[in-house]
Amino acid sequence: MKVRDVMVKAPVTMDIGATIGDAAAAMDRAAVGAVVIVEGERPVGIVTDRDLVTRALARRVPADARLDSVMSGGVVCVDADAELSQVASILSTHPIRRVPVVERDRVVGMVTLDDLIVRLTNDLHSVTAGVMAQLLFGHPEPHAPVMVV
Amino acid sequence: MRAQPGEQIRVRGHRQGEPDRLGMIVEVRGPDGTPPFVVRWDDPGHEVLFFPGPDAVIEHVEASNARQ
Repeated sequence: MKVRDVMVKAPVTMDIGATIGDAAAAMDRAAVGAVVIVEGERPVGIVTDRDLVTRALARRVPADARLDSVMSGGVVCVDADAELSQVASILSTHPIRRVPVVERDRVVGMVTLDDLIVRLTNDLHSVTAGVMAQLLFGHPEPHAPVMVV
Repeated sequence: MRAQPGEQIRVRGHRQGEPDRLGMIVEVRGPDGTPPFVVRWDDPGHEVLFFPGPDAVIEHVEASNARQ
């Protein structure tokens, strides 16, 4: 399965010159927990709702401060045509919960740890449904053997 | 920012006491040496597609060797 089959399309991106207040408002409007910061089209950082709390609110950084004052610089991304297992590998080896998806150097989507867990849980349910049915209703009886004399 | 495969990328720590993150550039995906880069981090050692931010610097091989 490819990353593009699972990703959430149209992630929220903001120019690096935007403010902390702009990011908070964008998160509120789009009901997301992270904004990818871009310079032109190229991602250069990411800001999460937690960053706004711990790096801005807690330190009394004003809402009109630039986003680059609180963002995590540098973005670990995944190609849209990569296998989904690559996202699992990234999430297991980096302290992040969201991976922006790119085509060339443009952000086209986002995959989150939550998305991945829901997806894998659904897949697991599909696999186990047959086993559950057998446990609940038993195996279908085979035809009686025919004795040849 | 421009780089070549084999060069080192350093991402500065954000908080006091947080160590810099080091990686080796394995592949350059952008035109003329520009990002994105495929980077193999010293820790945890996996390769990822990485778009550097303003806190990242490229350390050229010659410069790295000169310090050692």
